[in-house]
Amino acid sequence: MIIRSLLAFLAAATCARADLVWEKPVQEFHRVPDDGHLATKFAFKNTGPGTIKIKRVTSSCGCTSAKLAKNSFAPGESGEIEVKFTFGFRRGPQRKGISVTSDDKREWVLDLRVFIHEPLTLAPALVYWRVGDAADAKMVKLTTPADGTKVGVKSVTSSDPRVTATVQTVKAGGEYLVQIKPASTSAKLAAELTVTTDFPADAPRSYRIFARIK
Amino acid sequence: MIGRIVREVLLLCALAAAPAAITGYRELKLRPQTPLASGEVMLGDAQAWGDKAIWVDARPAPKFERKHIPGALSLNAETWDAQVARFLDAWDPEMRVIVYGERGDDAAPTVALRLREELKIPEVWVLHDGLDAWEGR
Repeated sequence: MIIRSLLAFLAAATCARADLVWEKPVQEFHRVPDDGHLATKFAFKNTGPGTIKIKRVTSSCGCTSAKLAKNSFAPGESGEIEVKFTFGFRRGPQRKGISVTSDDKREWVLDLRVFIHEPLTLAPALVYWRVGDAADAKMVKLTTPADGTKVGVKSVTSSDPRVTATVQTVKAGGEYLVQIKPASTSAKLAAELTVTTDFPADAPRSYRIFARIK
Repeated sequence: MIGRIVREVLLLCALAAAPAAITGYRELKLRPQTPLASGEVMLGDAQAWGDKAIWVDARPAPKFERKHIPGALSLNAETWDAQVARFLDAWDPEMRVIVYGERGDDAAPTVALRLREELKIPEVWVLHDGLDAWEGR
């Protein structure tokens, strides 16, 4: 009698813990500043044998709201957290954490990654060589977003004559390759290359590529 | 009969007490306050890197001015353009970059992501619990 009770007790204690399984706990999006915001949902299912109660859903940033329609989820029940991220001044890669805490003090951290692309994306924005490396050219790819925005590259100028840059047009208004080459890598050096564009027409933007010999 | 039931209940409680105590200790003392996210490093591990690491404070400039980890550079999302060149002057390809903010905020993950994605710096880590961990809070 005691042994049976004990086994039943231990089995119940082991299994009773409810659990949330997330469909996509890490989500990645690519947007442009004009989109203004991003809305998405993090779907989950309670796969445990017990009801789970969500005590708190918080975001790592005031720019990101996270809402849950209800707080209690029975075994096998699904739910979703609605998340809205407002860009504001933010540009480039953005990472927001959404923390979900249950009433038994367990925590899940959801990961929202949003790349807010400037009209022109530089990949990469840094090229470097070690002192003594071969002074080979390195390439930087300039691309426009997939929404069809046309950005023409007018020039690339270097802050230091010991580092030169040449531009190759792959697709006018859409894709360019910048070849960057140091005259020598015998000493440390820091230079900036300024990419001048024709977009937007009323206030054309320029971008920086960093070159370093370390 | 009642006495036997009481004895069995007490026995079950006694048997359950030990694993409950162990579980409670692990939850309260051994488990981090929040789960370790991808790309995060615990304070002890980061400190073990010594001078092979560069520390970056991703919090807004006024907070950096008030206090920061000794030797850390300021680089945050709001003033990225003005600060990134100075960071690159101090950075070395052999160094790991440890970015910190404050517990629960997104400043450090955002700066770390920009360093990885825009500048393609490979060894970028976010200090788990940020400055709070450094201050032992």
